[in-house]
Amino acid sequence: MRHLSTVIGSAICGALCFGIWPEMWKSYGIMGGWITAAIAISICWYMNHWMGIIRNPPGRIWVDQGWAVSAAGIAWAMVRFDARFRHAVPVLICCLLGGALAGAAANKVNRQRSDSQESTAAGEAEKSAHA
Amino acid sequence: MLEWTAQYLPSIGMSPVSVVTTVFGAFAVSFVAIVCWRKLVEDFGPAGGMLAAGIIIGTFWVMNHKLPGFGIHPEGLPHPDGGNKQFGLIYQGFKGASPWVDMGTAIAAGFWFFGFLEAKKGQRIPLAIESLPRIAAAVVGGAIGGAIVGLVGWTGANLFGYR
Repeated sequence: MRHLSTVIGSAICGALCFGIWPEMWKSYGIMGGWITAAIAISICWYMNHWMGIIRNPPGRIWVDQGWAVSAAGIAWAMVRFDARFRHAVPVLICCLLGGALAGAAANKVNRQRSDSQESTAAGEAEKSAHA
Repeated sequence: MLEWTAQYLPSIGMSPVSVVTTVFGAFAVSFVAIVCWRKLVEDFGPAGGMLAAGIIIGTFWVMNHKLPGFGIHPEGLPHPDGGNKQFGLIYQGFKGASPWVDMGTAIAAGFWFFGFLEAKKGQRIPLAIESLPRIAAAVVGGAIGGAIVGLVGWTGANLFGYR
């Protein structure tokens, strides 16, 4: 039962994305897609991550609403266009791989940044100690 | 060389060069979201998060998911030799016949793997196992929402003679 709020928030986010995104893009082109991100993702983020409808206890691995959008895109196309799931697998693997690479890279970059910040902070502390 | 890598391979539903563009598009949007989103929220509060939705997701949507042939100026991207070519970095497999693969997959996987690596070495596996039911809930919820939206193709649309 404690996952109920996650399911509800994900369902709304997924439905909102694929209910309006394709239509906005087909009507207004590239600017329609951009505006949809600004209006749909922003309110979904506010509900799911700022209000915490998708459960993310502190100190745990972050579960993003991207999982919901991803699942919704596949389910939407399977129902709407009779698409086959196995056709999505190669691109899905590429996306997961790219995302994981980005996670690893961000982790490395974060460590470097915190190291350099610590060293500059230590340097400044040393300077002020000398002064 | 480029010609060979751009050739469509039916076995994987995309060309080798599409693998490169898909992985790079997924990498780019995930990296920016992981690095910048939290900081934007720290700096500007909830408004920063809502701003990030537009300036990160919206901008990278244009890079990853735009497709020619629709919109106010569909002729804005002329394509002399026809064929099925898509201009977003994330390729939609099997010449667009595959279910829609969204860059949300990449962002979610990126945040998950980032959190996995940020955890201390001994705690990684328990934390990963703890996150699995929450991911499953998000996936199930998203699938419910997406499938229900997909149903309108079979109900509302045929009122107006569309398929």
